[in-house]
Amino acid sequence: MANLSIEHLNKRYGATTVLNDVNLSIEDGEFVVLVGPSGCGKSTLLRMIAGLDGASGGDIHIAGKLVNTLAPAERGIAMVFQSYALYPHMNVRKNMTFGLKFTGVPPTERERRVTEAARMLRLEELLERYPRDLSGGQRQRVAIGRAIVREPEVFLFDEPLSNLDAALRVSTRVEIANLHRLLKSTIVYVTHDQVEAMTLADRIVVMNKGCIEQVGKPLDLYYEPANLFVAGFIGSPAMNFFEAEVEGIEGGRARVTGAAFRTLDISAASLKVGDRLTVGVRPEHLVRGEAGAFTAEGIVELVERLGEASFAYLRRVDGKMFVAEVRGRQTPAPGETVTLVAASPDVHVFDASGLRVATETR
Amino acid sequence: MAEPVSHVTAQMPRAKLAGLLLFFLGPAVVIYTLFSIYPLVATMALSTYTSDTSGARSFVGLANFQTLLGDALWSKPFWNALGNNLIFFVVHMCVQNPVGIALAGLLSLPGVRLKGFYRTVMFLPTMLSVVIVGFSWNLILSPLWGVASGALKAVGLGSLFAPWLGLESSALVTLSLISVWQFVGIPMMLIYAALLNIPEELIDAARVDGLGQFRIFFHIKLPLVLPTISLVSVLTFVANFNAFDLIYSVKGALAGPNFATDILGTFFYRTFFGNQLQLGNPTMGAAVATVMFFIILLGLCLYLFLVQRRIRRYAF
Amino acid sequence: MTRDQRARSIGVHLVLIAYSLLAVGPILLVVMNSFKVRSAIFGSPLTPPDASTFSLIGYEKVFRSSHILLYYSNSLIVTLVSMALVLLFGAMAAWALTEYRFRGSTALALFLSIGIMVPIRLGSVAILNMMRSAGLNDTLTALVLVYVAQGLPMSIFILSEFIQQIPKDLRDAARCDGVPETRIFFEVVAPLLRPAIATVAVFTIVPIWNDLWFPLILTSSDSTHTVTLGVQQFLGQYITDWNSVLAALSMAILPVVVIYVILSRQLIAGLTSGAVK
Repeated sequence: MANLSIEHLNKRYGATTVLNDVNLSIEDGEFVVLVGPSGCGKSTLLRMIAGLDGASGGDIHIAGKLVNTLAPAERGIAMVFQSYALYPHMNVRKNMTFGLKFTGVPPTERERRVTEAARMLRLEELLERYPRDLSGGQRQRVAIGRAIVREPEVFLFDEPLSNLDAALRVSTRVEIANLHRLLKSTIVYVTHDQVEAMTLADRIVVMNKGCIEQVGKPLDLYYEPANLFVAGFIGSPAMNFFEAEVEGIEGGRARVTGAAFRTLDISAASLKVGDRLTVGVRPEHLVRGEAGAFTAEGIVELVERLGEASFAYLRRVDGKMFVAEVRGRQTPAPGETVTLVAASPDVHVFDASGLRVATETR
Repeated sequence: MAEPVSHVTAQMPRAKLAGLLLFFLGPAVVIYTLFSIYPLVATMALSTYTSDTSGARSFVGLANFQTLLGDALWSKPFWNALGNNLIFFVVHMCVQNPVGIALAGLLSLPGVRLKGFYRTVMFLPTMLSVVIVGFSWNLILSPLWGVASGALKAVGLGSLFAPWLGLESSALVTLSLISVWQFVGIPMMLIYAALLNIPEELIDAARVDGLGQFRIFFHIKLPLVLPTISLVSVLTFVANFNAFDLIYSVKGALAGPNFATDILGTFFYRTFFGNQLQLGNPTMGAAVATVMFFIILLGLCLYLFLVQRRIRRYAF
Repeated sequence: MTRDQRARSIGVHLVLIAYSLLAVGPILLVVMNSFKVRSAIFGSPLTPPDASTFSLIGYEKVFRSSHILLYYSNSLIVTLVSMALVLLFGAMAAWALTEYRFRGSTALALFLSIGIMVPIRLGSVAILNMMRSAGLNDTLTALVLVYVAQGLPMSIFILSEFIQQIPKDLRDAARCDGVPETRIFFEVVAPLLRPAIATVAVFTIVPIWNDLWFPLILTSSDSTHTVTLGVQQFLGQYITDWNSVLAALSMAILPVVVIYVILSRQLIAGLTSGAVK
């Protein structure tokens, strides 16, 4: 049964559309991450689920109940804020029980829940402390604890890791993943960090300009991005794009040419001669070689060495740049002309409107 | 991105919102309206009435104002008080603000020690009651005590001493300076705060450009705190045209000698409550208060529409 | 430090010390001489009291011939009650104005800000009439009501700025927790306004404690006089008795100075916090 379902949700402020006809269905126990560039509407969507922002149109159901007109506290949600939003003048225990007082949870039950959550989050030692005496990571755990004791249908996380330093972010990420495994609860999690999205999510919702671009499992988004936006957003460094055109069709196979790569042969029923296309290849899928399903040449301008890999920035024939990942100690030298190839499953083709063209390359 | 007001409160049922507003705003709005706005309006209304010896009131339109501005018995003291009040204000503007700016400028210089101490000491007179300040200076300047004349003699200027507060020619300016002495802390503090808000990097940049502290102050800091200076000026204006306590405590309601220190506040008090020379007249008092209100309003409008609009506020 | 810089630094300190002396000199002079016998007040006004010139005669007279302690307690009651109400009602109103959107909220905020600039004194004629007809004439209640009305606009203005600085997430979190609106104000927002109290206090306590006008027109009997009015009347009566005059002045000055010195850090921080821009 769908635990959270969103139908035709719209949000406008005056003339600006923040969310445009968003439809999403989230299963019980699912960990869904909303990801996208800043201003894409992901936080607004989360706040609308929480009931903190109003909708201009559409419906939200939580656990089968229409919650459009319900106050946040009546929706069966709990939210973890980016700034943690801990009450600064209450100790950890009070922070966690404060809300329960008003929702009719008896004192003994409150105590049980706090003890349970504190044990789960290793907060037992900190219960009498005040937020100002806690480290960033501890505050984060208290904020999560405050959400857990409410025993909500749905947990909402608003960029919870963005105020932590890099090392803590990784360990807290692991902790949140463990927590989800333990609680088996439904989580909607907003982030702009695609690594968080990829590592945490059962399913990722990629958003852009108030619309959902694609919903899918992390690896599906990586290997089969539905459009140019998702292709460019998921993966780092971003996918290389090459302008292309269908030069001829022979026996269901299209011959695709472009200024910056060697002619490519793909099978695609829907194409016709003269169609403008975009061919995409990820930097990590380009390897040095003579000829492959996809072949492109470039002059090395710059090499970034990261250790486990290096990134070569190459100037294409048409003057634009593209990036290739190079493994090992031998990196090409600036000025060197390099030929790079990619295998056919790693070549993505998008039509003029940016949508993925289902293809079989050879 | 987020709405200025929470959606939760925006979509509250009307009855609930009304209840909350009543609860939160009710006490403040009721007390404020009843004891601040209503009296102002009622006073203005009263200024269009007159009362006869039996206490019965009758509507006379603008007759009170005609009397106030046209009848020599009223208009002479009125214009005298207004003129004196202007002098009072001009002295404040010419002495209090420059001194306040200079002190704030000195305090904000980099590397000056004991800033907190100086600030605390210089602000002290501002905290005291005007009555106390006025009376203390009255004693100090009194020829009876001889402190002021003694101090002048000590620096060889003994011949300059005069009973300033008692002389018709110097009483008003002396009182103005006493008031300046007391309130110079306010411009100093506000301008000091504004100076602190100027990013240090900006000053560093000017130093790298080769400007000395003096030039930095006049070419960089001063233009940036201009909005605060104009705010201080309008605060001073309102306070000056509403002043009363100092003159009353040093010179009494008659604002002597020979009304030389009479300002609108004391004129209003005399008109309203009366004194040895005349009976109190509430309706004429209301008329004086109304005129004072419009003078203050005029000042505020000049500030809002002429000064504030032209002054650019800089964002750092 | 170069020689030039040192010279300038000394110059700056000389100016600041000179002005500091000018600022506290008169106050010191009054307080110092209040502890001396009459002959020493006139004979050597600039020297501190010593064993031969020390005297408390002025203070004895003040205690004997005026109800100075009663004045103190009146002033204290009026100031503290007014301040408490200004803070409570001001914070409540500021919260409603910043947090709730309703028709006329801007107009109401504008209406409330009239009192920041327009002195309530100008309504004295009507205030006196009202108090007389309500039977509140010559009571401390009348003073409190007027002072609350006078203090509210500025406190609403300052507290609104403070409330806006409280993170929005905190109120959202409380709403997700199901905390009722009134409890959000009293249990989440109000405790966080504590730093604002010093600032609001500067703008309420000082003018109330020092005010002469309203005690003068609203109170007539000795039992309702405040320190400022009581001392003022005392000074008028005993103008030739320098011991008493100086003692009365000192007694009006000292409590303010003591409180000021204790609280000056917070008061000045409040003044310079930028809440009044």
